[in-house]
Amino acid sequence: MPVYSISHVENVRVCVVMVGLPARGKSLIAQKIVRYLSWLSIKSKCFNVGNYRREIAGVEDINAEFFDPNNKEGLKFRREAINLAIQDMMNWFSNENGVVGILDATNSTRERRDRILKLCRENLIEPMFLESYCDDQDLILQNILDVKTTSPDYVDKDIDFATSDFLKRINYYEQTYETMDQKTDSELTFIKLVNVNTQIILNRIESYLESRIVYYVMNLHIKPRCIWLSRHGESAYNLTGQIGGDSDLSDRGMRYAKKLPELVLKSLGEENKHTNLTIWTSTLKRTQQTASFLPYKKKLQWKALDELDAGECDGMTYEEIEKEFPEDFKARDDDKYEYRYKGGESYRDIVIRLEPIIMELERQENILIITHQAVLRCLYAYFMNVPQEESPWMSIPLHTLIKLEPRAYSTIVSRIKADIPAVSTYKEKGTSQLGESITGKNISKSRDLIKDSDVV
Amino acid sequence: MSSGGAVIDSDDEGEIFNGFGSAPMSRSTSQQRTSKRWSFHNNTRPNLMDMPSGAELKRRLSDITGADNVHEEMALSVLGGGQLYSTESGRLFHAGKIIISLAGLPGRGKTHLSVSLTRYLRWLGVKTHSFHLSNYRRASAEDDLTHDLFVPSPNTSKANEIRKKIVDDCLSDILNFFKNDKGQVAIYDAINALPEYRIDIHQRFQKLNIQVLFIESLVTDDSIVMKNMEEAARSSPDYSSWDYDKAYKDYSERIKTLTPYYKEMGDSIESNLSYIKFINFGERIELHNSNYGYLINKVVFYLMNSRIKVGSVFFARCYKNSVEYSEDPPLDAEGLQYSKNLASTLFKHLTSQGKTYIKELNELNEKHRPLEPQRTLSVDERHPAAGVDGVDENSLVVWTSVKQRTIQTTKFFAERNVKIRHRIQLSQKNPGVVSGLTDDEIEEKYPDEYKHYERDPYHYRFSRAESYHDLAIKIEPLILEMERMSGDILIIADDTILKVFYGYLMSCSCYDIPFLNFSTNEIIEIKFNAYSNSATRIPIVSND
Repeated sequence: MPVYSISHVENVRVCVVMVGLPARGKSLIAQKIVRYLSWLSIKSKCFNVGNYRREIAGVEDINAEFFDPNNKEGLKFRREAINLAIQDMMNWFSNENGVVGILDATNSTRERRDRILKLCRENLIEPMFLESYCDDQDLILQNILDVKTTSPDYVDKDIDFATSDFLKRINYYEQTYETMDQKTDSELTFIKLVNVNTQIILNRIESYLESRIVYYVMNLHIKPRCIWLSRHGESAYNLTGQIGGDSDLSDRGMRYAKKLPELVLKSLGEENKHTNLTIWTSTLKRTQQTASFLPYKKKLQWKALDELDAGECDGMTYEEIEKEFPEDFKARDDDKYEYRYKGGESYRDIVIRLEPIIMELERQENILIITHQAVLRCLYAYFMNVPQEESPWMSIPLHTLIKLEPRAYSTIVSRIKADIPAVSTYKEKGTSQLGESITGKNISKSRDLIKDSDVV
Repeated sequence: MSSGGAVIDSDDEGEIFNGFGSAPMSRSTSQQRTSKRWSFHNNTRPNLMDMPSGAELKRRLSDITGADNVHEEMALSVLGGGQLYSTESGRLFHAGKIIISLAGLPGRGKTHLSVSLTRYLRWLGVKTHSFHLSNYRRASAEDDLTHDLFVPSPNTSKANEIRKKIVDDCLSDILNFFKNDKGQVAIYDAINALPEYRIDIHQRFQKLNIQVLFIESLVTDDSIVMKNMEEAARSSPDYSSWDYDKAYKDYSERIKTLTPYYKEMGDSIESNLSYIKFINFGERIELHNSNYGYLINKVVFYLMNSRIKVGSVFFARCYKNSVEYSEDPPLDAEGLQYSKNLASTLFKHLTSQGKTYIKELNELNEKHRPLEPQRTLSVDERHPAAGVDGVDENSLVVWTSVKQRTIQTTKFFAERNVKIRHRIQLSQKNPGVVSGLTDDEIEEKYPDEYKHYERDPYHYRFSRAESYHDLAIKIEPLILEMERMSGDILIIADDTILKVFYGYLMSCSCYDIPFLNFSTNEIIEIKFNAYSNSATRIPIVSND
């Protein structure tokens, strides 16, 4: 039985058509939407027309002249690229049951948009145009400075050349650009963001799913910030290999809790040592004990951060589960993301209960979240875009502080490992034994979070 | 670490944050309601939420019908069901104080807008109150109702004086609300026809460090205005004793007199103001100078999903839900009979209300359901979004949980081609360690915990359990989805879930929600209305 978190997406398909000149942050918005929706199990994919163009026309000889509206050859390549992208997207909708497809291109003329619109209507896909309009020169310049890092077209080029060439390219696009407006486009579903969020026009938002996308885009903030994640310190249950429960920290777990303030300071660095963090914990004792030595005053407990509820298996060891419920044990290994413990929860259920607080998390600045293995995997998957089949198998060791720094196009991860031993609670597929395998057979599947750790 | 957890100072604004976790909460005597300050005040129901502390807390709200509480004053201690945390100042989201000032001609749904926004913001825990200027006018000039009063530059100086006085009364109440009642959002429901008025409001409140946001309701679709005029003639307090035709004529006169004076927002002298244009009830929303932050983004999110609803929300319990939380048995014969009766009772009720979308069984068989959507429509024009639930006013969608017994309860709806949606969030409240125990057994086994629970049954969470508050946070996405659907919705769920939905729709305080009572032999229907929602019972009867 399909269970969806956001909306009844059984029959809804949305094509988000990005609109806007280059250097208006379109790709950034598109990627964020895909990450958010994928995390919520809504099948979404971004089709970047620039990538198609690079594939068929190469990168070497591309300069601004290629984008001259009078350059016949350039036009031919560009037209081919958009056609390929649209074709792939339509195939994806019909063959892979896509729900939200994003066409990331300038789509700067009405003629082009009209063609996409009709194609969508023909295929019963709801078209939603998302325009990022910007006439604030400072903002544009800021974006252009990022061009080296954001556009694959300029990877191997000189920075001065890249900047001036890119400006010229924008100029060519401006010649034919038709922005969206309330009168001419009143029949379309569209969102127009003017100078980031100074002015926003929302026209004919027709479904809850669309409104959710808009709301998410409105809440994206670009202020630099860090998110720290940590599991609770080693608990009494960890020592005995039992899952779930509400046990106290072990002695070593308590040592981690005492050391945590120092780890945080180290991670903040000397110049930021006065930064004030917000602390979130679950409602279970082991996370609160872990947070108890932190000097920060803003601490919140969330039920949504509680460990995956193992239902009838709560308090058992994996060996006991394997013995008592062999079928369940196997079923969980076969599809760990979907498997729901008898009377308990699945990974998908955790994502659903995390959904209402993820927006709360997006608007927070510097925050430390102390929670549990399964919940941490889900949060990490959100920030790092880890696919569902992998996220339940990630190895997230105890006594390690993870720091995430979200940047425009990626998130930087670093870890600090406290030099306090702890048992491993990692269980590989097909065994009831705990611990990472030495052979590393399955480790490639479980993004290793231990590597590159600093040890304090 | 103490279980009290989250009472802490924070550096910004010197706020105290009080997270709703396992921390027991209670209303201290210092938090009792303030004395009534507002000159206008509408009390139609016994005031259940402002019971002084120390009074018998274990009240049973057996009567869950009637009008909602959205117009009640909020006592200081009252918390919305979906509130995430509390602060010492009473203000949330670091948003400070905000006055949302409406603008727009009569018949543009301003009252509906202010009431529904108040309901939503209160649910989020934001101390919100609507101030309807028309109530002040009625209070001061009841027997002198001339259209002059509504005109920005009236012909008589007397009218001008009265107008100025009622505006001043209303605005001074708003100030009182901010100053003395820890108010965070005041919604000022008035026509505000001229840029001068709007700039005046902006300056008055900005001086006091209160943010001003205008929401201008514009309607370009005449059929919407017509509908609103009919509604006003029928139910506006201005016309309570009037003949319908006469009232309709008077109201349209009022709009006609005022229209030439009204100046739309957006003139260059208003370029500094923050405003949202809300056009044709959400068909288009335009935000200007909109770097408002999270709370106002929430308001916009709400506006995107808010519809003038024609359909109702129906609540029904799933049969025999007293089973152990972790068990998932199928329905027994009695339960099956119950679900059959539930379906036939609702179908009969809907038919009596003139709803025509319920198909007869034989009708369906002839047509070989289900129908595949087919595109026979032109691609040159816009059509309703394909596949979106509840777009059609004439439709029914059933929401229920993923448990076997609720799935089986929907059988008789599914076979009549009604859409069924299963949502994990609609599963009953997890009782944790007290699963299967009666109140007395809990008291005996967990005396300390029981005391905390009695003090705050809404937020208190037994070990491993969920609280009502946890449910409220879990179902928030569903609440907005429900707001957006124009047609009918039936929610079949455990009564713990129904209480929370009901609490939102009827503006209950979190102290009342745990005591709401839903019985298995009736369906509760919530009807939407511009001024307040109302609830009625429909007894479930056997149709065999």
